[in-house]
Amino acid sequence: MKRICTLSAFLIRDLFRSLAGLLPLAAGFTFYGIAFEYGMDQAQFITVAGVGLGAICLLTALLLTGRANRASFYPFAARLHRRSEQLVAVMAGSLAITTVIAFLMTEAALLRHQLTLDFPSALWIIPTWLALWLLMAAMALPLSSLVSRDGSHMVGYVLITALLTANDRRSFLEDHRLHWLSRAVSAILWPMATLLAQASAGIHGRSYLLALALTVVYAGLLFGLAMALFEHKDLLWVE
Amino acid sequence: MLRASELTKRYGSTLALDRLSLDVPAGAVFGLLGPNGSGKTTFLKLVMGFIFPEAGQIDRGDLSGARIGYLSEQAFYPTRFAVRDYLSTLGRLGGLQGRALRREIDRLVAQLGLEEFADRRLGALSRGTLQRVGLAQVLLGNPALILLDEPVLGLDPAAQKFIRDQIVGFHLAGKTVFLCSHNLDEVTRVCTHVAVLKRGRLVHTGPLPEMLGARSEVIITTGVIPADLASRLAALSPGTTVGAGQVTLTDEAQACKAQVLRLLLDAGVDIQRLDDCHERQASLEEIYLRVTGSARFPGRVP
Repeated sequence: MKRICTLSAFLIRDLFRSLAGLLPLAAGFTFYGIAFEYGMDQAQFITVAGVGLGAICLLTALLLTGRANRASFYPFAARLHRRSEQLVAVMAGSLAITTVIAFLMTEAALLRHQLTLDFPSALWIIPTWLALWLLMAAMALPLSSLVSRDGSHMVGYVLITALLTANDRRSFLEDHRLHWLSRAVSAILWPMATLLAQASAGIHGRSYLLALALTVVYAGLLFGLAMALFEHKDLLWVE
Repeated sequence: MLRASELTKRYGSTLALDRLSLDVPAGAVFGLLGPNGSGKTTFLKLVMGFIFPEAGQIDRGDLSGARIGYLSEQAFYPTRFAVRDYLSTLGRLGGLQGRALRREIDRLVAQLGLEEFADRRLGALSRGTLQRVGLAQVLLGNPALILLDEPVLGLDPAAQKFIRDQIVGFHLAGKTVFLCSHNLDEVTRVCTHVAVLKRGRLVHTGPLPEMLGARSEVIITTGVIPADLASRLAALSPGTTVGAGQVTLTDEAQACKAQVLRLLLDAGVDIQRLDDCHERQASLEEIYLRVTGSARFPGRVP
């Protein structure tokens, strides 16, 4: 655990001492400017900010994998007991950065009266967002050059694009007798969609808890996939 | 201490290591030599677990990654970090903390003469100073095995001597050092054992004093040797070296002496002198050139 914290802190500092460190901040600032222009209620905040910050978490995790894939990283990799520590450190780092950006964004929106939150129900935002960001951070791993093998990350990008496009065109799929595909896409995205819908409606029953658990399981599966790719991968550093 | 058995490694269609078996005794300073692309760095990366072999295995005993210090050939650094900060992070990853970590870093900074650079950014340091920082990170946590890949490459003579002295110091402290190098003078001065790779295959290994021991050879001084005959002569035995107006038969190649003389006479080459059983001590350079076949390097000296 200490090694993961140390490595995570190093990766974060390394990122923010480079120009690439401006990207998550710029993304957060831009998102705040656009999303909060007309203010938000709690329901909108949970969905819109949750997804927006999830995208920032994905971006941050990709940037951190880039820092861990440089030639200067070899003395750090040499001191790890397991390769999984490197991936966990990347995930922890991206979650930490996203949490700080979310905190700053929420504070700014509250201070400028662009957001209204009802406590204690607003506290449900924390597990909802954490599960979603965990999924995004885990998803970034197999999409990164650090973990991918033989261009496997390109397959990942194609699959995600296809899934999101199919979800966006579900009525088109229904009209063209592709009900099975539409239903498959709904089933795959059910945990995330239900998690956000139930949380924004203020319902935290069994469906919400099941969706929360399944989102975490998705994250676990993606982490497992990343480990399967990374465990015996030849590390040829980027100089 | 470190044993490799039948290690084979490929990069795509390129065979980097071909059934390499190597035994590094504890406490040795083991030099690994070989031409560029012969598989030296690949071997070190396999030892470190950065890459994996297609076949064969490495026995590192009870050494974990943290007990092996590794300095890569072209060491890159996180340039925006200060020396002390960098070493401190690596020390914490290696299990050191608090006062013990500070003491260890202070000791290494003093040992490697880095006092005035300790708070400077790595990006602002010269190559020689960075190499000393590299040695400091290698020594953090008191590793039992030290792997150095071309540690004096690109350094000035004073810095080279400093690194050599450090290696001798590691040896005296009982550490096992594995050194990849093209610098034969450096290897001769510090190594106790040597192995030579050629195209991923082990072509020579043994204790250095034995390798440099007294040797016998036959030197045949001749007139001009036609190129096709030179090739035929060189192919007779690995110990046969054909130069301009001279054929040298070393060790086991002397068994071919009669055959060589016959070929020379049949081709009408003028034999001017024959120095038989000439006893002398070989240099590591001669051994290296002979076993790697680099004595017959293509091209001409102007």
